[in-house]
Amino acid sequence: MTRRHPAVLVLVVALAAAGCGKGQSSDAGSPTGDTLKIGAALSLTGSLAKEGQLTKQGYQLCEEIVNSKGGVSAGGKSYKLAIAYRDDTSEPDTAAQLVDRFNDQAIKLVLGPYGSPSTEAAAAVVEKNGQVMVDSSGADNNIFTKGYRQTFAVLSPATSYAKVMIQALASQAKPKPRTVVFLSADDGFSKTVAKGGAEEAHKQGIKVLATETFPEKSTDVSAAVNKAKSLNPDLVVGAVHLVEGIAIIKQSKELGLKPAGGFAETVAPPTPDFVRTLGASAEGVVGSTQWVPQVTGEDKFFGTAQEYASSFKKRFGSDAEYHSAEAAAACLALVLGTENAGSTEPAKVRDAIARLDSPSFFGPIKFDSTGKNVTKQMSVIQIQDGKPVTVFPTDQQQSALKWPAQ
Amino acid sequence: MAGIAAAVASSRARGRRPLTRGTLVALTLLVCIALPSQLYGSQQRTWGAMFMFVVLAQGWNVIGGFAGYPSFGNVVFFGLGGYTTAVLMAKSGCSFWLALPLAGIVGLLFAVLVGIPVLRLHGHYFAIATLGVAEGMREVIINLPGLTGGGAGLTVPAVGVDATTSYPGNDGFYYIFLTLAVISTLVVWLVARSRFGYALRAIHQDEDAAAAVGIDIIRAKIGAFAIAGALTALAGAVYAFQQVSIYPGRLFDVDITVLMVVMAVIGGSGTVIGPVIGAVGLQLLSEYLRDNVTEYHTFIFGAIIVLAVILVPQGIVNFVRDARLKHGVSLSESVRAYRL
Amino acid sequence: MTQFIQATVYGLLQGGLFALVAVGFSLVWGVMNIVNLAHGAFVLVGAYIAWKLNTAAGIDPFLGMFAAAACLFVGGYVIQRLLINLVVNAPIWMTLLLTFGLELMLVNGLIALFTGDFRSINTSYANDAFSIADIRVPYGRLFGFALAVALTLALVAFMSHTRLGLAIKATGMDRAAARLMGIPARHIYALTFAIAAALAAAAGAILGTIGTFSPADAGRLTLQSFVIAVLGGLGNMWGALAGGVVLGLAEAWGGQYLSGTLVNAIAFGVLVVVLIVRPAGLLGKPYYELRVDG
Repeated sequence: MTRRHPAVLVLVVALAAAGCGKGQSSDAGSPTGDTLKIGAALSLTGSLAKEGQLTKQGYQLCEEIVNSKGGVSAGGKSYKLAIAYRDDTSEPDTAAQLVDRFNDQAIKLVLGPYGSPSTEAAAAVVEKNGQVMVDSSGADNNIFTKGYRQTFAVLSPATSYAKVMIQALASQAKPKPRTVVFLSADDGFSKTVAKGGAEEAHKQGIKVLATETFPEKSTDVSAAVNKAKSLNPDLVVGAVHLVEGIAIIKQSKELGLKPAGGFAETVAPPTPDFVRTLGASAEGVVGSTQWVPQVTGEDKFFGTAQEYASSFKKRFGSDAEYHSAEAAAACLALVLGTENAGSTEPAKVRDAIARLDSPSFFGPIKFDSTGKNVTKQMSVIQIQDGKPVTVFPTDQQQSALKWPAQ
Repeated sequence: MAGIAAAVASSRARGRRPLTRGTLVALTLLVCIALPSQLYGSQQRTWGAMFMFVVLAQGWNVIGGFAGYPSFGNVVFFGLGGYTTAVLMAKSGCSFWLALPLAGIVGLLFAVLVGIPVLRLHGHYFAIATLGVAEGMREVIINLPGLTGGGAGLTVPAVGVDATTSYPGNDGFYYIFLTLAVISTLVVWLVARSRFGYALRAIHQDEDAAAAVGIDIIRAKIGAFAIAGALTALAGAVYAFQQVSIYPGRLFDVDITVLMVVMAVIGGSGTVIGPVIGAVGLQLLSEYLRDNVTEYHTFIFGAIIVLAVILVPQGIVNFVRDARLKHGVSLSESVRAYRL
Repeated sequence: MTQFIQATVYGLLQGGLFALVAVGFSLVWGVMNIVNLAHGAFVLVGAYIAWKLNTAAGIDPFLGMFAAAACLFVGGYVIQRLLINLVVNAPIWMTLLLTFGLELMLVNGLIALFTGDFRSINTSYANDAFSIADIRVPYGRLFGFALAVALTLALVAFMSHTRLGLAIKATGMDRAAARLMGIPARHIYALTFAIAAALAAAAGAILGTIGTFSPADAGRLTLQSFVIAVLGGLGNMWGALAGGVVLGLAEAWGGQYLSGTLVNAIAFGVLVVVLIVRPAGLLGKPYYELRVDG
């Protein structure tokens, strides 16, 4: 021993130890008994930890409810659902790596990570490995232009987010807004949202005065707000995530940006954090959402949207919101697909999901050839008396739109 | 810092040791070459990532470990390499095998260009200036959406009709990263033995004295920075191809810089083998923690870094060497080394 | 014109907030030559303490700030005394690594304790504003700015007129000589770090009242402090304020007249130019240059 150079020795030992260390994890993944293993790489830490946790709650609720109702029955057998969670630290490359890892552990069915970049990275790996992924949060239309066959999204695509709010305001707001300014973050999802919204505004005869962009995850959007103020629009639409959405409202109040009609924002308003952090300033803000408890339709596991909401509240103590609903719906699609396939074999499950046409607590689940859930409509909410209430579409309406909002 | 030199010298004196060491290196390499057949695809991917970090840590080692210039912005070369490759492949239909060396050249040239003003700064000022360059470059990339896709990212044509190069797959990337890791370690080994390496060490010890004995310190520093730039850019190029979709936020992520510094320093900066040990050890550790302690893995990883810095501040390789020279391991002595 | 003045006023106030966040960071760096990567996490811990006091006991964040500062003062002292003092004489990147490890632990700990939720300390006044001829001046930011100025003044007075302050300054200049004069360096270092951590906590309380925060903000806050500390010049107690205001104005004007996504590029562009043209920072370095390490 003493003759050898210590550094090289250390390296060899490290390599050997590493080899052993990695060897162990390989046998962990083999399918066991009557358990259906599903993998989920999620943002449990890092910049998207909040949304990652909400998504995890949806997956957890699905796992528990499905198991309490006898599990997944496929091909005459009943499987217990077991979801393996891994932390991708909010990095797309890690998400992709973890999905690849699932594949080696013979976990072929995968639930989506949080956010478009991670979903896009995971989708490429899923496609290559012949895994099947149901995406619960990656809404950027880019994901669906690559010809991927193995990825399905239960949610409506990014183009719908602002579009549905413009539609709601054009039909419900009196007076109808004549001018709009879009405030957009510069990530792919938000830019697609803003573009979709501007097209719809044009169609509805609302003049788009400007689209101001600012860096993604920015907490200071004062420059954009200041510019919008000088244009004096009837409506300000934020194509944003939660942080930027809160910043727009806070800094508009500071800087005195008061559009004649009001504010509308994607993603942020329906999340509980929005009202909690903004308090009274949140009042009247319009938001678009993938899901509300007024959505019609039911399924055999969760029941109606209202029933889903109450099980969620019972389990986690907080009100159900759409990130977790998307997640539960993605899990549901995977479960229903497996049952329809009568097999846990990925190729069969994939085909069954592609053929799926089922009502659910989340609304209709039916995919087009690119894997988007196109039959589902988004909903529009407004913060009224400190709570998000559904104002559009009219068949889900809890309360009429207040306009001007404040 | 002079550890390797001393080791080389002493091993020459005893004659038989270089042979043993050579055999071991060859053996390790053989194991690495044969390994993929024994690994699952994702394990190949994990090991590929590990080799990538060997390249990054070695790149930092040249400028930070040898020359003593603590670059805190090496990720700029990684990002530039990645974007050079992605833009060449996506916008002008280049083959990856052409884009790869071009990315290395871009990294090298950028290092020279930036190095001329920035290497005049010392210590923290140099660290911050390099950090500023990296962060600034990310913003430039974000603000060139026509070329780079901006904040929305850029997709390399890796599959389908637009593909310019067939996608190597997990084992392919394993070997590409392994090759780069071997090359970078070889480069560092050559640097360590060369006049150039001694010049860098002299600069590290005392820049004015180095200049006084006739070392062209500006050229040496820029040379070291250029080597770091080229190696890091090559790693970035392969990474971009492997990821397919790239985003400025990740390609210029300051955490990547931090990781390469952590790996080089904990392994032993200024040594040939230290960064290899640091990269391999920390990657494996972080993978293990991620798999087994889902919620608290970053907490434990952080605690381990804190412990490592306090217990073996001189790096693992130097610690082991010191322990051998003194015929015993003394952690308490090691802890006291840099105490106030 | 109104737009320009509005941007200027807002940028100035924003600069005060930047300064508040960075002043402790600048102090530690200037006196001990330590770049504290956990600084942003300290700011957040302060914000969470003030938030908890506000939601649980209804304490106004401008009072909660003092409690947060007191907690971090103790925490900062312990961290420096037991951990950082052990590697003070190592090459500079060792302290970088140590504090980076601390940052990982603190941020992960905050997520475990408070989840990744976005928080904000709600007050009736912080986001309100008064107007002077169409120019809006938000109260919360004005308080933040005033506090930044007050703390800077207090720090300057403390450093040049008290025995303790002079001892810190002396240790910063020449540790060996200071020790010979009977100044206990370990204690002084720990005290300096404690003061910086307390300042960070106070900044966190104000930041949490004006804006929103979540554990993921730590890295961004640290990076911002980096830029400001360097811009202003190290070791100068006025440096953070000067750097903060310059950055605030640069971002406000840049955001107003250039593309909104260029804001960050401006900050780093200014930084690199200042470093190369005037490496000592805008206000120079009155004593840092004289340092004799050992």
